[in-house]
Formats: sequence, structure tokens, C-alpha cells
Amino acid sequence: MQIDRTKRVSPPMGRLKVVIVGGGTAGWMCAAGFSRLLDPAAYDVTLIESDEIATVGVGEATLPHIKTYNDMLGIDEAQFLRETQGSIKLGIEFRDWNQAGDRYIHPFGTFGEPWNGVDFQHHWVRAKLAGREVAPLQAYSYAVAACRANAFEFPNQDDKSIRSTYAYAYHFDASLYAGFLRRWSTARGVTRIEGMVSGVERDGQSGHVRSLSLKSGATIAGDLFIDCTGFRSLLLGGQMEVEWQDWAKWLPCDRAWAVPCVTGGDGVTPYTRASADLGGWRWRIPLQHRTGNGYVFSSQFIDEDRARETLLAKLDGAALDEPRMLRFKAGRRVRGWSGNVVAMGLASGFLEPLESTSIFLIQAAVIDLVNLMPTPGEGDRMDPRLIAEFNRFFEIQYDRIRDFLILHYRANSRFGEPLWDHVRTMDIPDSLAAKMELFEARAHLPDYKYGLFSRDSWLSVLEGQGLMPRAYDRLAESLPLDELEAKLRDLKTRIDSNVATMTGHADFLRSYAPGERAPVLASVAS
Amino acid sequence: MNGAPDKIVVVGRDATLWLAACVLRSALKPAGVEVTAIELPTRLTPADLHATLPALEALHGQLRIDEAALLRATRGAFTLGQNFADVSGATPAFFHAHGAYGAPIDARDFFPFWLKARGLGLNVGLEDFSLTAAAARQGRMLLPDEETEVFGRTDYGYHLPALAYAATLKTLAGRLGVKMHQALAVAPTLDADGDIAALDLGEGRCVAGDLFIDASGGEGVLVSALGVARESWRDFFPADRVLRAVGPRFAALPPYADIRAWARGWVGLYPSQAHTHVSQVYAGDLCTDDQALELAGRISGQALTDAVVSVSDPGRRVEAWSRNCVALGEAACAFDPVHGVALQAVQLGLVHLLSLFPVSGQFRAERAEYNTTMREVYERLRDFQSLHHVANRYAGAPFWERARAADASDVLAHKIATFQARGEIPPSEHETFVADSWRALLVGHGLTPDTHAPMIDRTSPEVMKSEFRRILSFIKEQVLKQPTHDLYLESFC
Repeated sequence: MQIDRTKRVSPPMGRLKVVIVGGGTAGWMCAAGFSRLLDPAAYDVTLIESDEIATVGVGEATLPHIKTYNDMLGIDEAQFLRETQGSIKLGIEFRDWNQAGDRYIHPFGTFGEPWNGVDFQHHWVRAKLAGREVAPLQAYSYAVAACRANAFEFPNQDDKSIRSTYAYAYHFDASLYAGFLRRWSTARGVTRIEGMVSGVERDGQSGHVRSLSLKSGATIAGDLFIDCTGFRSLLLGGQMEVEWQDWAKWLPCDRAWAVPCVTGGDGVTPYTRASADLGGWRWRIPLQHRTGNGYVFSSQFIDEDRARETLLAKLDGAALDEPRMLRFKAGRRVRGWSGNVVAMGLASGFLEPLESTSIFLIQAAVIDLVNLMPTPGEGDRMDPRLIAEFNRFFEIQYDRIRDFLILHYRANSRFGEPLWDHVRTMDIPDSLAAKMELFEARAHLPDYKYGLFSRDSWLSVLEGQGLMPRAYDRLAESLPLDELEAKLRDLKTRIDSNVATMTGHADFLRSYAPGERAPVLASVAS
Repeated sequence: MNGAPDKIVVVGRDATLWLAACVLRSALKPAGVEVTAIELPTRLTPADLHATLPALEALHGQLRIDEAALLRATRGAFTLGQNFADVSGATPAFFHAHGAYGAPIDARDFFPFWLKARGLGLNVGLEDFSLTAAAARQGRMLLPDEETEVFGRTDYGYHLPALAYAATLKTLAGRLGVKMHQALAVAPTLDADGDIAALDLGEGRCVAGDLFIDASGGEGVLVSALGVARESWRDFFPADRVLRAVGPRFAALPPYADIRAWARGWVGLYPSQAHTHVSQVYAGDLCTDDQALELAGRISGQALTDAVVSVSDPGRRVEAWSRNCVALGEAACAFDPVHGVALQAVQLGLVHLLSLFPVSGQFRAERAEYNTTMREVYERLRDFQSLHHVANRYAGAPFWERARAADASDVLAHKIATFQARGEIPPSEHETFVADSWRALLVGHGLTPDTHAPMIDRTSPEVMKSEFRRILSFIKEQVLKQPTHDLYLESFC
């Protein structure tokens, strides 16, 4: 290769005008991130949103990374939880995915600990295959035990303590979070413009977006446009015509009903619940003041009315609103950044909220974009090298999650139900087939540095969905079986005795961050 | 084969053979796995030396190899990195250190701060912010303590004379219960499925096994017999010959290797306690072996003896694991000599093999995973070596002109482009070299990013300046506390 050593010369001074279109979770997370991480002297951040457009944000449930993001912004956790009616999340409970009555938790924590340099699951499989006294895998996760006890306390900082072996995320009202970040961002220099975009002006030569015209007649010019317009993908899909990569063949769900209800059942659990059902699955997200519910389904396999009725019939409290319908397709744009348009959130792709990944994807895109931001002073002259790197990561993030989601469908045992029979027998990506095969053959777990999910997450779902390894790493045999049995017993005792002393989740919330007890009217699980 | 492989036969020579035998035996002995080593005649001469990367220390730890005893037995030395110089003097020397460059400022990566400061006229080189490089330049060790741990990574590799290192490993293999045979050559016998059933060692001797490891070097006696094709990396590297020789020991032992580019190749000086090991790496059509020897002497400034010439032919077997045979070392992948990555590749091959070691007679999935992973491991190592070639600035020299025009992978091209645009290194899975190493090399070859990561612009110039001063004075202070390489070796070994 011949390396081009010519320096790209930028004018010494200048500002980059960034225009964010859309004020849902994606738009305001992006605005908040920019205002915290970028130099205000160099970047001018404007957000256009319209009160006429309802936001979607199916993801009220999050992953632990959200805490890193909030901490990076400098947000006070208790205030944030109070103002978003937030609760704590230690994992996701999957019910009925295998056979009716099954349940397992995908915890935000580890299973056991490595012994003799060998990962825990090998020892567990070995004890089981040897017919030794061994509890279900779930019993060896501190976070799972805490979920089962409906308990929470902050993880211990001492990494030798069993009480340090988990992380936590939040459940919150996404529209309240967007509002919270709106106040936060506008107080820190982000300009908010209320208005509906009615037209897009593009440069005849480069095809770049020059400016947006609003219904009010105003024109908003910019150098870089962030498309946070949700499913419409107004700029990336609509203007830049970036192709859609359809994943419906693997993830056939294309609708969701969403409805809030009075909290009942198990109360404000420190976990999300995802219950498999006919033609799809239902979510349950407990907030402080209400519970968010939804039914994600495939219209090929169950009709809308039946899904709606099922959802309402299975609520564990009185519905607080009429169910609202969302339509979607699983997939992503082939690129997240094209020309001078970067899409975030639903404008860039959609993955059903089975593993609460949508807010993570936004956050990851914001951080990547900040690192690869166009240089102030260059106007809309984008550097293709930075775009290429952004898009490389964009693909990795989406594709990794995709495989993890497909696993839940593929490895189900709901025999005799059309959707579930279909997904159990469909072709899956080779990348996933190899992971399943290696787990079943030898308890081997996927291990990669970049992108979700961790080995423990894979373990929870592979085993939870009923895959049982036939063998284990032979290095595990360095531990005598009697010693292994004793270690397993001790581990379980440490978990159980420590969890027994934890505070209840509801009590924790009441003392740490009680939300306002305002009556909730027409706010749909948004 | 029906059950899990319980009988491993490793055939090969030198460090690859014995490392494989020791690692497999010590890890799998509790599982009842037997390891038999079939030793082929050595190819080593007194001139051969392994310049190793920091990860080897951990592997030695697992094998319970005592560092002091190892250095005593091999007369080896420590290395904190490599100094790259250009004998024409046209481009400044630079140091690739096995340690951090700078320390975080405001909890952010150091490098963009340095970039920004350079743009504002700072006249301090990147390596001046590396504690490890500074210690090396002063002939000192860098013994980490609490303060330096907070500052950043300070690692080291070794210069291990190869004959003595192989002998040490062989002794260990014996202690670990590896069965040993010697043979002049081996011929595999295949079973009806085409798997290797046994090896004929000549003189009527035959060794059967379940899983075979080919550690025989470039010719890959077993993988060749299985018909595994080889992908040549000839077009990535301009050198096809290597001359190795020894010179006298340096009076004061530098704790690093010195790599000197000249018009038709490069000369590497690797100090050990006994000798200075010198390599001359060149292209046969540009330089005869006699010229190579003469110039190696002149460029190293050493009176050289024991010179031997070998061929360098980088490339990879398309499958490192084929049927019931895993190739390690040059049998799997031959590297260009630059940056001394060969033992690292052996080590990673073993680490991944252990994590996928067959648990039954069916291991198709393990094999596929291993081959995918190792391909990436080998290619990322190659990319780092490749960067050294495509980014060189040696002017008016045919060898280096070829190097500049040599092939580079798309992954490397993207790394270079992203660095030039923003100073960042796009991360890859299965990467051996950390971002600091990539940047040391890129900056060393005169590539300067157009912009820096904008997040650091929220840190005030005053904070940035005072942090720079703090780092530089910390380095100065710490380096003075360190023993010289000689003193340390004397007290340690």
C-alpha cells in the first residue's frame, strides 16, 4: 500500500453546528452527551422537537451501562430515580420460554467464580454430570438470588466480597427521562427549538443536508444532522436513502401493544419480566408509580385483537390507559452514518426490547460519535475515515445483539405453537449456530471484547433456554470432586446468607429515591 | 477415535516442541492426558535468540518456571522494548516500549493530549512520556511498585538464547512426565478416515496417539502430509533471508534491542548476558550473504562469529488445526523476524488450544472455532509487522521502497486511516498489541494524525500543562531510583 501522508488542513478556528432532530430518549441522550463531552466553544448543539409528535421509546428497561452514562453526565442518581419514577433492575426474568412454568433470570452479575483458573460453568457441569450434590445454575448467582428475594443494596466495592459480583440498571419512565435530560441539557447550553420539520434542503453536489425548514417558516441550517426521528428515519432513511437490512426472517415479531397498569402481582420487582406467550412475548416493567406492560408479537402468528385481549387479561393490576399499538420491523440500516447524517435510536435500527438494548445502542452511538466527531471549522466536509470507523462499530453492536436475541427464540421448547415451532426450526446465522454448538458440546462460552453480551449473560440464556452441555473443560479435573462439592456448597451458603440480610427493593426505593405519587392519567408506556 | 483424546503426540523441535509439551502436560495431567514428545534434530545454532513479548512471563508463571533460574541458565537478559534507528540518519530513532506512554489526564487517554500539545508547539516526544522507554534509554530496569502501577503499565520481555531456552524447557518437560523419543524424521500413518493414527520414527519405532501437534517448523511434517495448503505472505514483506551471528557481550548491557535499518535490510542487536545476538534481515536479490555478513558486522560494530543464513518465508497454513492435528509455531504460521512475535504466536496457539481441547472424539466445532480465532490472531500480529514496513520512510533504498509498496490488509489500512484522521486505533478482537504500541510505531514512522479526540478539549490548557510537567518529573524521579540492567542481573541471577 502507499500511505498518503498529506495532512488534511483545517481552518484553525470555527464551530460545528450540530442539529439533532427529534426529542425522544435518543435525541435528549445525544444532546446531553454532547453538551457534557464536547467543548461548547467548538460545537453548537441545537435540538428540534415537536410536541405534536409522540415519542416511542419501548425501552423503559435498561442495562447497567446506563449508570455509566448518567455518572459521566454527572447526574445525581437519587434525583434521577425520583424524577423518572425509577426502580432498580438486577436482571430480566424469562418465563415460559422453554415450557410453560419455566423461569430463569438473566442477571447483571456473575455465576460463581473461576476455580483453578477454570470458569465456573465447567465445574458446575462437571458436578452435575458426576451426579454430585449440586443446585440449579441460577442458585450460584448473587444477582439472581437478590432478584428472587426482591432485594437490593449497592454492590460492595471490595471485589473479594460476594456482594460485589453484580451491577445494576434501572427501570424508568422513558418520557420522564427524556424530560429530565431536556432540562439538564438546556441548562447546559443546548438550544431547543419547538417545531415540526416540513422540508429538507440538500446540497446539489454533495447530497448533504444543508438545512431543515420548519412548519413555522423558520429554517435551521447545520453542518451535522443527528436523526433521532424514530421509525420514520426522516433523514438517514428518508433523505440519504440508506438501505434497510431486514432481520424479520430471524426475528419475526412486528407489533407490540403497550399499556400501563396499577402495580400488583409481585410488586416493584428489581427485575424486568419477559413472558413468552402465543405468537410473541409480554413484558412487565415495574416503576415506582405504575407498571409498564407490553405484548410483542408477530402479526403472522396472532391477530392484533387477540394479542390485545391477552395482554389486558394477564395484567396484574387495573389498566391505566387504552393499549397503544406500535408497528416495527427487526433490522438495521446498513450504515448508521451517511454523508452528514448520523442516526441514533430507532432511526438507525430496531431490535425488540427482549434484552433492553435500545438505550444501550443509543449510548454507544453517542460515545462513538463524540470520539469520531467532525472537526469544527470544516463545515459539512466530512472525513470518510471517521465515518468508516463509526459504521464499523455500528455493525458490530447491532449484529452481536441480534444473535443473542435470536437465541431466545431458537432454543425454545414451546412445541405445538406455530410461531415457536417456526423459530425453533428456522435457519440461524452461522455465528450463532457455532456458539450454541460449542456450549452444548463442552460448556464453552462466547468471549469477545467488543459489543454485548458478556460470557455470564450468554451462560444465563443458553442454560436458561434449556441447553445442557454434554461435557466440560477437562482442565476442571484438576479440582478433586469432593473439594468441588464443598466449594459449591460454600458458595451457595455465602450467597444465601448474604442475600438474607439485604434490604427489600421497595424499602430501598422509599428511603433512597421516592418518586412523586402523582396520579397517572393518560401516559402510555412510552 | 471414540473417546476424548488422552494421548497427545507432539512432534517437532526446539522451543515450540518443548513449550507445547510442557503446557499441555501440566494443564491436562489432572485429566489423565499423556503427552509424548518426539524430538527432531535441532535447527538452532548458538546465534539464535528469542526476543519475547511480555505475555511470556505469565506462561512461565503457570509452568512454575523461576525467572531468576531461567535467566541464569540461559544467560538471557531483560528487554523493555526495541529501539528503531535508521543508519542513514535521515529519520530520528524511536522506541517501542513494553509499557504505557503517558498517564491519563482527567481520566482520559493521554495520547490525544500529547497530540493537541504537539499542535500547539510542544517539543517533547511521545516516548519521553514513557517510563519504560526512559528507563531503557538509561540502561536501567523498571521494577514496578505501587506508584508506578498507578502511573501505568510497565512490562518487559526477555532475550533468551534459544539453545539454552529449549534445553531448560526440555528438562522441565521431563520433570512433568512428558515421554520422550528422538527421531531423525517421522512419517505419519493415516487411518481409514484420513486422520493420523501413528508416527513411524524409523528403526522400527512407532508411536500412536489421539491428537497430534505439529511443532516441526516451516515444513510442517504432519500438516503437509495431511495436505493442508499454505497461504504465502511473501507480498507483505520484502525480506527473504536472515543471517544470524554472535558478537561479544556489551560491557554495559542495554535492556532493549536495537534495530538498525540500512538501505537493503535491517540489523538487529539483541543483548544477552553471554553475547550480543545479531540478525541481518535482507532480500537475497539485493544483497548477497557475504555482503550481509560484512554489513552486519559493520552496522552492529561487532566482530561476528557463528554466522548462519536461513530463509525467511512468511505465511500461514490455511487451517492451523486439520483433522486430528494442530500445527503450532512455524508449522502453522511463519512470521517475518521484525518485532519478535514468533513465541507469542506459539503461546496464543496453546492458550486457545487448551480452551478448546477436545472433550470427545468429535471436535469439529472446536476445530472450526480454533481456526477462525487463530487466523485472526496470526493476521493481527502480521499487521503490526506489516505496519513497520509500509510506514517506513527510508529514502532512496530499494529494500524500503519495496517495503512501502508491500501488501497491507484492509484491517491495517483502516487502522492507519483512522489513526491519521483522529489518532485513535480501531480495536480488533484477538489483538496482541495494545493501542500504545500501535501509536508508538505509527508516530515513530512519522505519521501524524490530522485531529485529536475532541473530548479532551474540555480540559483547560493549564491542567494539561501541569499534568505534563507532573508526568515528566515523575519519570525522571522514578528512573533514577532504578538499578542498571547489569546490577539487577547480578543481584537477581
